[in-house]
Amino acid sequence: MVVALAVVVGALCVALAGWALWFVVADRAVVLRQLWGAAVVEGVLVVQAVILGVLAATQHDVDGALFWGYVVTQAIVLPIAAAWAFAERTRWSSVVLLVAALTVGFLEFRLLQIWGVV
Amino acid sequence: MTTEPAGPTARPRTGAGFGRLLVAVYAVLALAATARGLYQVTTKLDEAPLAYALSLVAGVVYVVATVALATNRRTPAWVAVGFELVGVLTVGILSLVDVGDFPDETVWSGFGVGYGYVPLVLPFVGLWWLWRTGRTPTPAPTVG
Repeated sequence: MVVALAVVVGALCVALAGWALWFVVADRAVVLRQLWGAAVVEGVLVVQAVILGVLAATQHDVDGALFWGYVVTQAIVLPIAAAWAFAERTRWSSVVLLVAALTVGFLEFRLLQIWGVV
Repeated sequence: MTTEPAGPTARPRTGAGFGRLLVAVYAVLALAATARGLYQVTTKLDEAPLAYALSLVAGVVYVVATVALATNRRTPAWVAVGFELVGVLTVGILSLVDVGDFPDETVWSGFGVGYGYVPLVLPFVGLWWLWRTGRTPTPAPTVG
């Protein structure tokens, strides 16, 4: 289940990054729909944090500080990009969303490593 | 926020245009390095005090660079980005020859290999950007 959830997060991040890249190429600022997309990713991250948190507390042995450090870091990246999108109404907000989506995807990979499944 | 005079011959702001991308990447690295440094210093400082303290310092310097670039503060930006260049080269070489207290545990170890060499490339890009935006644009020639 942990891996399946990570695949979902990874796929959503790639999709969001692709959408943002398209907007970068088209010289457009982030639109509200993309932020709804980012909110979906964020929702899955919260669900994942709850599931992994329960597993870590009951049966799975993981370095707590390291694990939660990654969970928290991963959770704050997209909200920062969203705030940026409101403040910066140029294509550069799309660049920031692109970087943010790729970062969340990379952090997901690191999270799997920390969890010990890859 | 600006520390530069506005106007047609003013120097471009360091946070504008391509600078946005630079600030965003610096912000990600600042987050990653600071989080890592805090984790290392708070949980296992006694294992390798120098490396872990340096890890946290690296994170703080990335935060300084991010804020300085975003708010167009040139002098702190030069210092912070220059410090990173020296840091990544020094720690990179030291971790290669494997001396003393530099286990592969900082953002700069192995020239930043753990971060896709971004820590090695970024200071060069940052210094180039500061140099580029630091020149006052030549006024358009007037037709006589």
